[in-house]
Amino acid sequence: MHIVLVGLNHRTAPIELRERLAFRREQLGDVFTQLRGDLGLREATILSTCNRVEIYAGVPELNGTVAQLQRFLSEHGRMELDGLAPRLYSYTEPYSVRHLFSVASGLDSMVLGEGEIVQQVKYAYEAAKLYGATGKVFNVLFQKALNAAKAVRTQTAIGQGCTSVGTVAVELAEKIFGQLSGATVLLIGAGKISEITLKRLTDRGVGEVRIMNRSLERAEQLASVYQGGFLPLTALTEQLPLVDIVISSTSAPSYLLQPAEVAAAMRRRHQRSLCIVDLGVPRNVDPSVGTLENVYLFNVDDLQGLVDRSYAERQHALQQSEAIIAKKVEHFLSWCQREVGAPCALSLSEPAPAP
Amino acid sequence: MVIAHMVCSLLSYAAFLVAFVSGVLFLLQERQLKSKRMGVLFQQLPSLGALDRLNFLAISAGFGLLSVGMALGFVGSRVLLGRWWAGGSKENLTLLLWGSYLVLWIVRLRSTLRGRRVALLSILGFTLVLCTFVGASWVMPSWHPSL
Repeated sequence: MHIVLVGLNHRTAPIELRERLAFRREQLGDVFTQLRGDLGLREATILSTCNRVEIYAGVPELNGTVAQLQRFLSEHGRMELDGLAPRLYSYTEPYSVRHLFSVASGLDSMVLGEGEIVQQVKYAYEAAKLYGATGKVFNVLFQKALNAAKAVRTQTAIGQGCTSVGTVAVELAEKIFGQLSGATVLLIGAGKISEITLKRLTDRGVGEVRIMNRSLERAEQLASVYQGGFLPLTALTEQLPLVDIVISSTSAPSYLLQPAEVAAAMRRRHQRSLCIVDLGVPRNVDPSVGTLENVYLFNVDDLQGLVDRSYAERQHALQQSEAIIAKKVEHFLSWCQREVGAPCALSLSEPAPAP
Repeated sequence: MVIAHMVCSLLSYAAFLVAFVSGVLFLLQERQLKSKRMGVLFQQLPSLGALDRLNFLAISAGFGLLSVGMALGFVGSRVLLGRWWAGGSKENLTLLLWGSYLVLWIVRLRSTLRGRRVALLSILGFTLVLCTFVGASWVMPSWHPSL
């Protein structure tokens, strides 16, 4: 049996196109029936996520299957084949197998090494199985794909590290405080990255939020979004001993926080750890504040440096991951050769009753 | 009586060992954070908050157990030797140890000191434990049965 893949992803097609071609779960029953009936596929699975739409097909003969699947997709997306075809890629085994294993491991994702895709592949396989679209080969194919993903993610650093300044900041805060639920965050100023960082902290369960801004109105606006308190900038000295995490992102021309002030605050807070994330350019916090005991200061360069280093490590892990996948692909193909042989007639599996 | 005294004392030393280890790990993790490294050490070591809490727990437990152990020691000494205080080097060192951890426990309890300094003192304290446990009887003979 041949394993054919036709699809598109975030590299070959913009989101508008991917949206048009997406398959919803409710549609799958009819789609699989059509694929089995009209296109004569023995087995099939459809992987449809925000970043890709891929049809995996198991056929006894490669008799224009690729063209048929392309046409099928163009009809599904209600568009001209001429416009769609250049955006589609197609593979047959062993490359189709390798592609699936790479996708499942997060190697083909927008963010290298992301882990959501594993669940998405599992979901796609289970849906196909439910509709009786999978058989002997695809059951093993997708199990092996999920195994490969697990192997890659446990044996290499591909899935580790942080992908953005916001996530880095949260990881650092968690390593300082452990539980974020008892911590209070103070956001000074506003800005895209600082607000994303605040959002990530609140998603991770940070205790209390306080917003400080030169404009009290703006502070109040933001505070209502995060159900926190709002304060004028003049309250900084008074607030510093009371908060645990400070995110600062103002366009102030000079330092908002100097070592003497922070040292005094640390005495008043009995040396409880203080984490300061300085996203201001120019910097809002005097760098020598970072040398104070129990104070942890990170500026934009520090955080970006950590993101870059993390990316470099994941790139490095890419080679390792590809080697693991190559081996797994080989194993699968030898199993296929042993158990199924070159194109053979498998019995049509009875379609399961639609749920 | 004697056995209870021994068990309590040994358990207190074990607790001080835990305080020592958590102090060391705290300093290691603190170093990672201060130098902005998020490598293997950073990932594997627990958070500063967790290590600090463990350290406090260990100091408290150790101090409590040591106090009980010493009390049992006094009683044992009275029973066996006819006096509350045998006055040997081991007893003196243990008293010093008890006093040190009393101070450490109080400053930590009242949050006068936290984090880095407590970690350092926990490490220092344990070296005193080692002296008491091992050194005293070797250096100077005393009434205290050698252990």
